[in-house]
Amino acid sequence: MNFKSIYILLLSIWLASPLVFAQKNTSVKLLTTKTEFTVGSHIVLKFKNANNNTPLLYCSNSYGTTLVTGTINNLNLEYTLPENIAKKIGVINWKILDKNYPTSGKLYIKPKAEVATMETYIGPPSIEAGGTDYSMLVVIPTDSLDNPVPTNTPVKVKNQFLNSEEVDNIFTKNLIAFKNIYSKKQDGRILVSSEALGTNSKEFTINAMPAVPTRFKISYSSPHNYADGNQITNFTTSVIKDRFNNVVSDGTYVDFFIKNAEGNVLKTSGLTLNGVANSKIIHPDHADNWSVKAYINGMAESNTITLNYKQVVKDFNVAFTNKNRIISVGPIQSFMNQMIPDGLHVKLHIYSNNQLVKILTKTTFNGYVYFNLKPAIYKNNNYNFKIETAGITKQFNKKLW
Amino acid sequence: MKPEKSNKFLIAALLLGLAFHGSSIFFTLETTYDALIHLFFADHYANSWFEPWNYEWYTGFTVQSYPPLVHQSIGVLSYIGGVKFGMFTVALIAITLFITGTYRFSLMMTANKTVAGYACVLAVFSSSFVETLHIFGQLPSIVGVSVLMHALPEIYLWLKTGKKWYLATCLSLISVTVTSHHVTPIFGMVFFIFPLIGMVLMDVSKEQVGTMKAVTFKVFLNSFFKLFKRIVVFGMLSLVLIVGCIFPYWLNSKANPITQVPIPHGSRDNFLEITSSGLVFFLIPWGILLVLLPYIFYRYYSKRYLFFGLSVTICTILGTGGTTPVPLKMLGETAFNILTLDRFTLWASILSIPMMGEFAYRFVEGDMKDAIQKKFGGVYHRIIGGILAGLFVFMVIFTMSLNYFRPSQPQKIKMLPIVNFLNQDDHDKWRFLTLGFGDQMAWLSAQTNAMTVDGNYHSARRLPELTTRPIERLENSKFKGVAGIGSLQQFLTTPEKYNLKYIFSNDKFYDPILYFCGWQRLRQLENGIMVWERLNIPPVSEILPKEDVAKWLKIHWGIMPFLTVIVAFILNIQMLWVIMLKTRFKPIPEFLKFPVQYNKFNRNVIRITHVWSLILTIIIFYGIYLFYIKNDSQRSPENAIIAYYDALDFKEFEKAHSLINPASNLPIAQYMLEISVTDGLLSSYAKMDAIESEITKHNDSTVSAKVTTQWITPLEKIEKIDYKSLSKIKGKWYLQPDDLNNDLPPDQLYSDNVTKYYNQGRRRITTEQTHHEDILKQPVLEVISAKLVKYNGSYAIIGEVQNIDNVPADVILKGTLYNNDNKQLATYNAKYHIKHKLMPKESSCFRINFEGIAWSKTQDSIPDTFNPDEFTPVEFEEQPTKFNLQAAGNVAGSDLYKGVVLSDVNITENYIFGNLFNSGIQEITIPQLLISYYDDNKNMVWVDHFFVKEGVRQERKQNFEYQILEPGAVKIINTSMENIFVNGLPNSDISNKIIPNRITNHINNELQPINHPDFSYIKIEINTYIGSPF
Repeated sequence: MNFKSIYILLLSIWLASPLVFAQKNTSVKLLTTKTEFTVGSHIVLKFKNANNNTPLLYCSNSYGTTLVTGTINNLNLEYTLPENIAKKIGVINWKILDKNYPTSGKLYIKPKAEVATMETYIGPPSIEAGGTDYSMLVVIPTDSLDNPVPTNTPVKVKNQFLNSEEVDNIFTKNLIAFKNIYSKKQDGRILVSSEALGTNSKEFTINAMPAVPTRFKISYSSPHNYADGNQITNFTTSVIKDRFNNVVSDGTYVDFFIKNAEGNVLKTSGLTLNGVANSKIIHPDHADNWSVKAYINGMAESNTITLNYKQVVKDFNVAFTNKNRIISVGPIQSFMNQMIPDGLHVKLHIYSNNQLVKILTKTTFNGYVYFNLKPAIYKNNNYNFKIETAGITKQFNKKLW
Repeated sequence: MKPEKSNKFLIAALLLGLAFHGSSIFFTLETTYDALIHLFFADHYANSWFEPWNYEWYTGFTVQSYPPLVHQSIGVLSYIGGVKFGMFTVALIAITLFITGTYRFSLMMTANKTVAGYACVLAVFSSSFVETLHIFGQLPSIVGVSVLMHALPEIYLWLKTGKKWYLATCLSLISVTVTSHHVTPIFGMVFFIFPLIGMVLMDVSKEQVGTMKAVTFKVFLNSFFKLFKRIVVFGMLSLVLIVGCIFPYWLNSKANPITQVPIPHGSRDNFLEITSSGLVFFLIPWGILLVLLPYIFYRYYSKRYLFFGLSVTICTILGTGGTTPVPLKMLGETAFNILTLDRFTLWASILSIPMMGEFAYRFVEGDMKDAIQKKFGGVYHRIIGGILAGLFVFMVIFTMSLNYFRPSQPQKIKMLPIVNFLNQDDHDKWRFLTLGFGDQMAWLSAQTNAMTVDGNYHSARRLPELTTRPIERLENSKFKGVAGIGSLQQFLTTPEKYNLKYIFSNDKFYDPILYFCGWQRLRQLENGIMVWERLNIPPVSEILPKEDVAKWLKIHWGIMPFLTVIVAFILNIQMLWVIMLKTRFKPIPEFLKFPVQYNKFNRNVIRITHVWSLILTIIIFYGIYLFYIKNDSQRSPENAIIAYYDALDFKEFEKAHSLINPASNLPIAQYMLEISVTDGLLSSYAKMDAIESEITKHNDSTVSAKVTTQWITPLEKIEKIDYKSLSKIKGKWYLQPDDLNNDLPPDQLYSDNVTKYYNQGRRRITTEQTHHEDILKQPVLEVISAKLVKYNGSYAIIGEVQNIDNVPADVILKGTLYNNDNKQLATYNAKYHIKHKLMPKESSCFRINFEGIAWSKTQDSIPDTFNPDEFTPVEFEEQPTKFNLQAAGNVAGSDLYKGVVLSDVNITENYIFGNLFNSGIQEITIPQLLISYYDDNKNMVWVDHFFVKEGVRQERKQNFEYQILEPGAVKIINTSMENIFVNGLPNSDISNKIIPNRITNHINNELQPINHPDFSYIKIEINTYIGSPF
């Protein structure tokens, strides 16, 4: 009997215990029914409390987690949510921290429909004209507590380009509003700003730059068409434009390739200013035929023009003196029989036994060039000399002694 | 008891020494080699006493690599009046310590206060001390050796008397020596303390047998055994102190052993060959002592000093450096290449100081005076005295003024503008590099928190790029020949690896290499320093790696040095006071019991000294004669040529003109005009390396010469052959002037319209980081073609890049090679083979070489004559088969001169002759040709470059001669354009978006055909460096 009665007693206590605890559980109850608050409002969570203790309230939002101490007011347990939690939009998860009261819930903080500040980003700051390239404007209007505004808040995007001023309405979604601003056919400066609920952003700039250049023409000018090796020929392009008739940006690099009569390729280059590239080249020092074509690598090219340079030096004298070691070349005269301007290259090829020994290059001074063959270098012997200037070649065989 | 009289000589020496050195250090110390380095270390301690890791130099190093006492002392004093105040104060203390040290050392050696007085007065002006302080600025070394000299009498007393008090005092001083300089106590043991032990043993033996003569080896051995215990106790304890006091130093030496290529030092030279080293490291430190050598050896080889004699002899021999093979054999290869041998000469001269004092005493008022006067008469004695005194004074003046005549440092640079620049706008978030600052770079580092990749304490270098070559600093790389330039250019080409963004250049020499490696001039600071910057460099990361050491080591390092000083102070000075006050009785030190009687001077010594002086005089006069012959510029045609080229090298045009034949009627005004208009790599940026002339004589007064000169320029090594004629007029040789280029420009005045750019940087003055509105878009580039090729055994990425944006771009290309398994093999940037600055729509061919860390394999493969243009190709263990190319564009606003024209071309079998014409309004300093080679299908296969040696003036022509590459097929390995990125975006996306209709191979019609077995066409592009843009 003893064992049995003890057994029954224990069993009945065990069975009854959940009932007791279950009853305790229901003794705390949330009194606040509101689960949605406007951001920044004073939020108090009230609980009906049978016990007189004040457990901590655990609450957490996307910015972090905190514990709130409760106060007892008129037998109700009250928790005032701190400002740093209450002024951020989003979900707040709360929970009473007591093993006996596993009560928990959620609050929703709604954004205010007001705009205090606007974060605005735009990029890239320069795009290509022509209507395909674009820059993206991103607007993030925020309220006075730095929360994003409600979804579908209207944002006005205003832009000015040349004579047109446009306003577009866009709406915030996922906290931001954005718009792709496409370039127009013309190049120029697009000024952009935005407005949301009466608050305006500052001014932003997008530079629409000219697109890829198209075919152009070139021309030349020079003081005369003599090959005097001194004057300068200018090449000029027509105004280089893109396919939308925009003048290409200043500084665009244009290569001028020149093929001369021998098939060798010379080169000059110019940078555009207001679409026109200028380049210069010195006249050749002998009669030559040039065909010139300009390129913008991979994008555009010009027509081909031809230039004819007339020979100026008809002939020149060569004299050997001082044991044939001083060779004087000249007078070298230009087209009006004036002395050729200083600096014309005269080349002396020296051959010994048909082997090239040395090429000496000198420049004329007052129409003459003197070569002095030093005995240290050119031993006494027979030499062949080839003198070459302005495209004319003369050959001699002399003995140095 | 009679109070002890102060030694007048000692007081005079102290007053003289402090007045003389104390006032002159303010003019000398800052221009010495080492002082500013110590200043930098001191600044480190002042800022972080217990943290040994320093981020500022190299890529971080530990200050536990140098004993800290002197640095910490300066650091402590800097709290009162700044680091310079600290340095000068410590220098004054060092001077005091040195003078008193020599006095005590001499007193111990000679046991005669007057002699010791003479010695310390002479020591004040001894040329080795003057040089160490005023030329080298080796403060720790001076403090170390001075304290060691203070320790010597205490060691003597401990060994002689066995009183434990003396053991304590001598050990306390040894520990101060250790914490101030590590090498001094180690070698001091050998050269100072061992002979001292020998002397003590001699004295003990003498006491036993009565006279020095009676001391035999047996007696000596007996004394040795008698004192053995004291010697061992002293030896073991000082060993413990040497290791213990700077334990972190030894630990660090073991962890980071000095495994680097030896850096050449003048003290290892053959002094007969390199006379300047002989002067600085032999003649000056010895000075007047050279005359006294016979006396010094005579005295030191007397029985009592026998061991000092050996020590002086060894030091003297070791101090001769590479002149004789003995030092190398004695020290062994490793030690010979690490130690600077001048310190042996310093020690030899310091060891000689007591004998110098003794000589002076005996000469002025002792037995030598009597002997000389008796034999040669009083006048002769005075004349000799006058000569010796004159020589002595001359050596002091000469040593002090050495820096005046041969400045070892560039002019003093005002650091404030640089410090301000680094503090401004977060410039210290990047590393910087100085060029041409000399040791003043240490002073700059001490004043700023910004970090540099360079440094001034070469034992602490860590980057393999630095340790594998024999240069102490990148900063003065031009003086280290081409090996220096070679290592500098690796840093300049891949600066992003080191976060190196700013370069402060005090030397125009480096400008071309900076430009052609893709750097741009930012601005000139008020102090004339040019700031160069490189775009697209990431800042130094916030957290940097460091090699940390245990906390107790840090505490040990921070506390121990001053602890040793405090203990030494208490034991040696404070306690002396206490003892004196208590007892009022001071025993005569033991060493004073062994005086030398100066009554009969050895005549043979006088004789030998005379002969020796005669020999010295003959040597000196012969040396002067040789110097005269070599430097008399017009004595022989060779001399005239060398003098002429030297004068041109050093821009002494007046001197060069004086060597031009006066009969040629070339006025100096005309000559200067002709020289001053020549610009270019060779005339403005070259340093002559070697000159050789081959003379052909025609008659007595006419010769012609073939002059072969080797020039080092920042870009490449140039060999130039000139033919000169010389004539002899009135016994002097003159050069004939050369012909001029007569090129006459057509226009007197002309105009040019160009587009110029200015980048505002930050439009608003704000410290906010990178305000996004102020950031310019990176210019869009397009890599038109790129391929991996192999030519002559080395791999390269070649191709063509174009700026397809509307603004000028600075282009940085970085190539990476991979093998078939996508394993990264090498990465490098484009160096010379690209136009780094591109105008809108301009294109440039490029080549990326893959350079390894030069000579990293074996130190002996360093070529003697290194060409800066050559490089060490990286050694691939596996075959590169793929590549990745990253192009980065940044808006450029400078160096956009495009006025150069290829105005004539002639092609021969092996050469391209051509003319460059400058059509713009700026003078082109260095034109560079970029020559791309094409195969018969007009596919680009190789890119070469060529620097034209002469500049091109406005509206003038300059001819060039380019040698076409030798035959050799190029193997094209990979032409895939898949892994090419521009500003981080795929190249193909960009090109499809911006130029969908690109005309491919647009310029192929304009290629220049050539006759070559492997190449069919070339294209020439021209890049220009403008020395002074406006």
